[in-house]
Amino acid sequence: MKNIEFTLNGFPMLVYVDPSLRLLDVLRNTLGLTGTKEGCDIGECGACTVLLNGKAVNSCLVLIGQVENQNVLTVEGLSSHGSLHPLQQKFLEYGAVQCGFCTPGMLLSAYALLQENPHPSEDEIKDAIAGNLCRCTGYKPIIDAITAYSR
Amino acid sequence: MNNFNIVGKNVIRQDGLEKVTGEAKFADDYSFPNQLYSMMVRLSVAHANIKSIDYSSIENDPEIIIIDSRDIPGANYIGAIRQDQPIFADQKIRTYGDVVCMLVGSDPEKLELAGKQVKINFETLPTLTDPLKSLKKDAPLIHEQYKDNLIVHYPLRKGDIEKGFSECDHILEQTYTTPFIEHGYIEPEAVIALLREGNKGVHIIGSIQNPHTTQKVVATVLGWPLAKVRIQQAELGGSFGGKDDTMNILSARAAVAALKTKRPVKIRYSREESILESYKRHPYTMHYKVGYNNDGKLIAMKIDILADGGAYASMSPFVTWRTVVQATGPYEIENVWTDVRAVYTNNPYTGAMRGFGSPQPIFAQESIMDEIAIRLDISPDTVRRINGFKTGSVTASGQKLHDHDVNLITVMDRAIQESGFQEKWKLFKSQKPEFGIAPDRDDLILKKDEFIDPDKTVYKGIGLAVSFRGSSLGAEGIDTAAAYLSVQADGSAYLLCGLAENGQGLRTTFSIIAAEVLGISVDDIFYLDHDTSVIPDSGPTVASRSTVMGGGAVKNAAEKVRTALQKFLTEKWELSENDELLFAGNKVSCKRKNKQIGFSELCGLARNKGVNLAALGWYAGPQVDWEEETGQGDAYFTYVYGCQVAEVSVNISTGQVAIDRIVAVHDPGTVINKVGAEGQVFGGVTQGAGYGLWEEISTHQGMPRELNFDEYLVPTSKDIGKIVPIFVQGKEKYGPWGAKSLGEPTLELTAAALANAIRNAIGKRFYNLPLNLEEIILQRKLRKEDLQRGSM
Amino acid sequence: MRTKVEFIRAETINQALQLLADNNKNTRILAGGTDIITGMRMKSKRFANIDLLLDINSINDLKGIRLLEDSVTIGSNVTFSEILENKIIQDKLPLLIQSASGIGNLQIRNRATVVGNFVNNAPCADSVPALLVYNAKLRIESLKGAREIALQDFLVKAYKTQIAPDELVTDIQIPLANDFCGTFYKLGRRQSVAISRISLAVLAKLSNHKIDEIRIASGAVTPIGKRFDDLEEFAIGKNAGKELFIELAQKMAQQILDVTGLRWSGFHKIPVLQQALYQLLLTTIEL
Repeated sequence: MKNIEFTLNGFPMLVYVDPSLRLLDVLRNTLGLTGTKEGCDIGECGACTVLLNGKAVNSCLVLIGQVENQNVLTVEGLSSHGSLHPLQQKFLEYGAVQCGFCTPGMLLSAYALLQENPHPSEDEIKDAIAGNLCRCTGYKPIIDAITAYSR
Repeated sequence: MNNFNIVGKNVIRQDGLEKVTGEAKFADDYSFPNQLYSMMVRLSVAHANIKSIDYSSIENDPEIIIIDSRDIPGANYIGAIRQDQPIFADQKIRTYGDVVCMLVGSDPEKLELAGKQVKINFETLPTLTDPLKSLKKDAPLIHEQYKDNLIVHYPLRKGDIEKGFSECDHILEQTYTTPFIEHGYIEPEAVIALLREGNKGVHIIGSIQNPHTTQKVVATVLGWPLAKVRIQQAELGGSFGGKDDTMNILSARAAVAALKTKRPVKIRYSREESILESYKRHPYTMHYKVGYNNDGKLIAMKIDILADGGAYASMSPFVTWRTVVQATGPYEIENVWTDVRAVYTNNPYTGAMRGFGSPQPIFAQESIMDEIAIRLDISPDTVRRINGFKTGSVTASGQKLHDHDVNLITVMDRAIQESGFQEKWKLFKSQKPEFGIAPDRDDLILKKDEFIDPDKTVYKGIGLAVSFRGSSLGAEGIDTAAAYLSVQADGSAYLLCGLAENGQGLRTTFSIIAAEVLGISVDDIFYLDHDTSVIPDSGPTVASRSTVMGGGAVKNAAEKVRTALQKFLTEKWELSENDELLFAGNKVSCKRKNKQIGFSELCGLARNKGVNLAALGWYAGPQVDWEEETGQGDAYFTYVYGCQVAEVSVNISTGQVAIDRIVAVHDPGTVINKVGAEGQVFGGVTQGAGYGLWEEISTHQGMPRELNFDEYLVPTSKDIGKIVPIFVQGKEKYGPWGAKSLGEPTLELTAAALANAIRNAIGKRFYNLPLNLEEIILQRKLRKEDLQRGSM
Repeated sequence: MRTKVEFIRAETINQALQLLADNNKNTRILAGGTDIITGMRMKSKRFANIDLLLDINSINDLKGIRLLEDSVTIGSNVTFSEILENKIIQDKLPLLIQSASGIGNLQIRNRATVVGNFVNNAPCADSVPALLVYNAKLRIESLKGAREIALQDFLVKAYKTQIAPDELVTDIQIPLANDFCGTFYKLGRRQSVAISRISLAVLAKLSNHKIDEIRIASGAVTPIGKRFDDLEEFAIGKNAGKELFIELAQKMAQQILDVTGLRWSGFHKIPVLQQALYQLLLTTIEL
């Protein structure tokens, strides 16, 4: 067990945990941030995607010890002061959400892309979300939502 | 034509806000104080007799509670038709997913270690993995209480099949197969059972597709009255038909454990466990014999279909019934002889999955229709135009199609027009790809002339497929639905339907319907959480029946409230009976009297005068009938029609197929929720494409090989080109304003359209899904000899 | 489910080497973790009994991509995403870019390291064929000292390398191949996030339409990524053209059959590999 400090959704965070726990488990179980989802545990589905120093990563493949002094963003940190991030708004308008289980991870992959590349092409969008499986939407409305935001 | 205010427009999802913020609570997001975790103990064997179970090394550990069949107060065996599936296997193992016992405790890691200490003494039995062998007389019985391994047999007899074959110009016989398919919902199963105070019973929260079915199963297992079992549906992370039986069983296990431990018990599955235990879409072997004339007219069709039901009957009798009704496809044929059988094997059991017995025969029937067209040198749309259903056509089961727009040819024409099918099909057909690789050869070193130059490796193709589909359950079962609408004194309203949200968006569709009737905004409707204690059983969310059935019930509820308000206003404004009231824009008005009142104000006034603003709506499906022996009858009360055209690029040197474009034209009746309807098309086509090209669960002596998304390949964002959804909104007298079904039709056509497109591109017919790299090159499947993970 | 393991984040190479030198512990170096963390979860035998996970992500000396006079050096905690974004590699090592872009998904590429890819030495490790044709060398350090080894020699068999328990791969050095043309090829089942069925890398240098030097490597078709020395020698001095390319493809297939025997997948892979190599050579080498 160890004290681990990191930045979570813009705020300093201190947890006292086994450093070999997965970031996903600490977020969900220790911190109660259940917006980050667990879908496959092997980095294939992307439901657990969070941003680590601005980069999309699978939180099932990151240990909390590796996050020490780093910066983590989860879906809970996307909207601020009760108002949706415009990307979330676009997801709603374009029907990018059906069952919603892939949505948090999908939003974060899209957010990371748009931070680095504000006007991505369709292929760049597809590439950025290729690691986020969605079984409901056929991806099309998600791609449209991201495109709409980037314009 | 109705003049709608909201119906058919773009509306934001009812549950969208919590889903984009991460607040939406899926089953595993719930936790309770003192909650215990669980771990399933299985035998690594497909078929065995359990001789004894030795718990001695863990039974004295106070931190581990053992739950097995002995803890079940009621029935251990459950099932919709046949009660053949154990909550905990007590005598036999019939498939790898079977669970012998469940260990419960507060430390999941400790449970896992303890699971290995349970020693099960067993005697292996011969494993049946081939449905044909299961049917043999001397085959070992998988369920001893039945005389053979046959789960169900549906015959359908129309006309004189032998006469038909003897009188037609040509006969074509082909056999097609399809694999096990995993639903692939991104959320694995999870459920929590909580004992309630006193005599209130148990409260279950889970990733449950059909809460009322779960309620029945849990009550049966506990031996309790239904009302003591309260099932609350958590936000459901996808289902596609897949969170029914499995979730009923998991809920029962959790309930039994909660009863024994008096503490909340959570079950959550890893992806591997989910794929291992949950049911799959049926593999079918389909033999089609078709007699047809030189002019393209179908004269006779004989169909023999064998479905692998796996270890338990589950939904097989329902799934295969839809197959027998629809197996000829949407073609009028005088002489039909169909046999559909489902049999037990020791494979994973099979049940409901989006499509429900239709994607398989459509793949076969639409492939064979194209083959007939090619043999007669006519275009694929021509052979369908000649034989396809029109108004007044009679189906294989003898049902005359009338009372609704029989839009088969209309949707096909629209798809042809949108895709430029006819010109492209002719053009691509004239391509003559040179094949470098012969399907079966001993010498794998290519000959000089077998090498293909880079510019001659990719060929384009276009293909179409059409279908008709019975809306809702049909003669499968009781077809009714309820909805509860409670308008508050300020005009806002609670709404809940007995059909459960599966992620597809029925909350939104139902809210639109209620809002349309009352002339209020969708934002004024607050959709309630699904809970069996507050809403009547409305049957399951299956069969693309939510909009037609649930929508009908919601409309009925809203109309009841509207009628009450109308009555109140008629008195208040002293209207005559013939005066029309307009409910629109959050106002109610009477043109003749030039009167208008805000909806909110009206509700306040009415409430103060004691008017009941709550209603329970009800919708009962019209009469259908079925004759078991002959397979004749009016199977469904109405049908929907669809056509999909796929365009592909096929690489003949690798076997890769790229999907360039899919045009999907569907007649779902009236479109209530435009965004939702298009979402169904995008999602359904994508799943259908996965079925066509990549997805399969293969088994090794009954054990599934593909247990996670590294090997079970669902389409990613990069795998599908363009999808073009088009709706032809035919007239329909049933359902809310004539809205019927869409979810499943979108999926069932895609694989068939892809197979026909590939045929068009490279001149080869494929008989076995999925059309993966090996199938395209070799026209057969290659399988690993073992269960090793990896690519070699 | 996890089994209890210790986790330490090393800040310097020396600290890491000290920890690796402790014989009493089964220590595993954790870079991207995409193989180890999944492997441990799946209870893979290769990751059983790990006592200590040694995270090297914070070691600054292992970061960075440097262009030297005639080579590029890549530190052992450089991720595939960093490779893809790097101007030097884009300019100098196109095959590495091509192979990196097809690895896993973006989330994986943001974590997984190129060094980790070959230290894990899966048969389908996509970067291996590319690195092999570039004649990549590794620098390996331990408390006892440092050594350099060619990647080809480092890879022993599937999931097995020359690394000793007390050793750390600190970087990989890739000689520039400026006067070569080349391409990386991958066949997967899907358009993305696909494990390689076949991967190939080719680098060639020509003069007067004759092969001066050619380097050919494959992945996913042999137990580990492999160079084809005999083929390369055979091709030297021959006319670049369809005839030669067909012969090379046939010979490669024969060699693979000789090495692996006919595997379950061979009926597809062996013919397709020949087509793929033939087409790759035709498109790579301007005739």
